[in-house]
Amino acid sequence: MGVKGLNQLIKEHSPGAYREFQLKNLFGRKVAIDASMCLYQFLIAVRQSDGQQLTNEDGETTSHLSGMFYRTIRLVEHNIKPVFVFDGKPPVLKGGELEKRLLKREEAQKQLDLIKDDGTVADVLKYEKRLVRASREQNEDAKKLLKLMGIPYINAPCEAEAQCAELARGGKVFAAASEDMDTLCYEPPYLLRHLTFAEARKMPIDQIAYSDAMAGLDMTKEQFIDLCILLGCDYCETIKGVGPVTAYKLIKQHGSLDKIVEFIKENPDKTKYKLPENWPYDEARQLFLNPEVTKASDVSFKWVEPDVDGLIEFMVRQKGFSEDRIRSGAEKLKKGLKSGVQGRLDGFFSVVPKAASPNDKKRKDDSKNSKSNKKTKRK
Amino acid sequence: MLEGKFDEATLLKKIVDSIKDCVKLCNFNCTEHGITVQAVDDSRVLLVSLLVGQTAFSEYRCDRDITLGIDLDSFSKIIKCGNNEDYLTILAEDSPDNVMTIFEDKKKERVSEYSLKLMNIDSEFLKIDDMEYDTVITMPSSEFAKIVRDLKNLSESLNIIVTKDSVKFSSEGESGSGSVVLKPYTDMDKPDESVNVHLDNPVDLTFGLKYLSDIIKATSLSGTITIKLADKTPALFEYKLDVGGYLRFYLAPKFDEDE
Repeated sequence: MGVKGLNQLIKEHSPGAYREFQLKNLFGRKVAIDASMCLYQFLIAVRQSDGQQLTNEDGETTSHLSGMFYRTIRLVEHNIKPVFVFDGKPPVLKGGELEKRLLKREEAQKQLDLIKDDGTVADVLKYEKRLVRASREQNEDAKKLLKLMGIPYINAPCEAEAQCAELARGGKVFAAASEDMDTLCYEPPYLLRHLTFAEARKMPIDQIAYSDAMAGLDMTKEQFIDLCILLGCDYCETIKGVGPVTAYKLIKQHGSLDKIVEFIKENPDKTKYKLPENWPYDEARQLFLNPEVTKASDVSFKWVEPDVDGLIEFMVRQKGFSEDRIRSGAEKLKKGLKSGVQGRLDGFFSVVPKAASPNDKKRKDDSKNSKSNKKTKRK
Repeated sequence: MLEGKFDEATLLKKIVDSIKDCVKLCNFNCTEHGITVQAVDDSRVLLVSLLVGQTAFSEYRCDRDITLGIDLDSFSKIIKCGNNEDYLTILAEDSPDNVMTIFEDKKKERVSEYSLKLMNIDSEFLKIDDMEYDTVITMPSSEFAKIVRDLKNLSESLNIIVTKDSVKFSSEGESGSGSVVLKPYTDMDKPDESVNVHLDNPVDLTFGLKYLSDIIKATSLSGTITIKLADKTPALFEYKLDVGGYLRFYLAPKFDEDE
């Protein structure tokens, strides 16, 4: 989960690919959201003040529903149209990674048992959070909730982030939203991060433009995928001792992962790097190049009015949410659906390439020296 | 070197106050003909285009074209330091790091000077072609401001429908709806009070009231506003400066999504 150091690499080589803005600037956009990732986030982050998950009277966890409900409403209130994409079957190659995660959870459970009686609350919570995973029922709950809210979702045949990217590439939505940098390997025109974070965190949305990122790194799609594999993806191990900087250098030097592997194999004495045994890097690459997705042209989705009675039945009667809050949420959904979409000036006016005047240049030099903000600099 | 002297500080004060709520940072491009500003708000819905012509200054000289990257929040604080009737002079070097603002009291021998650090603002410059509009409305700016303020209480959107003999502004909200209908009207004594409608094609457009209420902050700059509308095209709201120049706003309309 998460390609290590990729963020930094892109920021360094193609700062222009990054844009930060507030949620409200996304108005009118449709976005595909990696739902599985969201649910996990909500289970971790949506907590009571004592750090416990939200539950209903029967002790069933409801953190994921609370997160899904309120944060989706926040998007709709900003006139954003979300589509949620759920994970399908994991690819076979992901087995290793999933096993690792399972082991980690078992380990955490053991630790938790050990310290349960005499550990501090913070410690217990720390291990408890490591145990979190979104169960099948929780996924189903979330789908049911979305349906009642009138928000479309689709089940990806395989990886959700690949499907999000496909939807964005096919023009069905503006961007793919996921925290996972892996998503970039599937070529979404834009990747949004921090979209479903809590408002209270005041985290700006990061938008990464794929083509600008590639231009900055000066890499082809294949090279970029190879880079991600070197940095560590979900599908296979990495070469020990290769971090972001070396990985970038190696790709630049050799041109592709095959060449790197060849080079290491042929010159074992010239390099300190050792390849993992039976390294399935090529299979991993194929998963990125040809992911199992439903074609964007084959799906369609509609945002419809929420089913208020259904929401009350499900959220209030079964899950113990407050009726008033669910009702007011449903009102907001209705309102968000109705108001027309604000147009943008883009497309009406063309951008004139800027001729740099001498005093511009001078200021630019200054800005290079102080590596602070990207867009505006005070001298 | 740039040196521009206004007879009264109030003009620049009004200009900055008109645009500082929709664009925070903007480049003031100074040439021998005057000062221009073009800036787009963060959400890329509203574009501000300002021209303060040479004639708006009592004294003006600009030897080389320069760009002043200004943080309007800070600039407006400086401009508030002067009295409305003061002389106001803007001074900058040829490749400036900061811009000087000098206020001179006309009666007392009081001179105040403020320096503002400039910023490097990386903004795109948009080319605005002359567009053909379906409708051109000229009306008292205060009348338009009142309509926007009144209807903003009801809804987030303002619908403008122009037909052969009337202009209808209307809003529909949860609590109710409202509309204002204006008909062409000529006031011989006070031409500013006239409502003029030039119509080639009828239009029916909807705009976000949030943006319109930013636009009407420029009301004090001019007695009249000219509104140019065309179907599915950004509307142009123009306030002409009596002394030479204009403040224009281009606003993208709202669409009903058809799918």
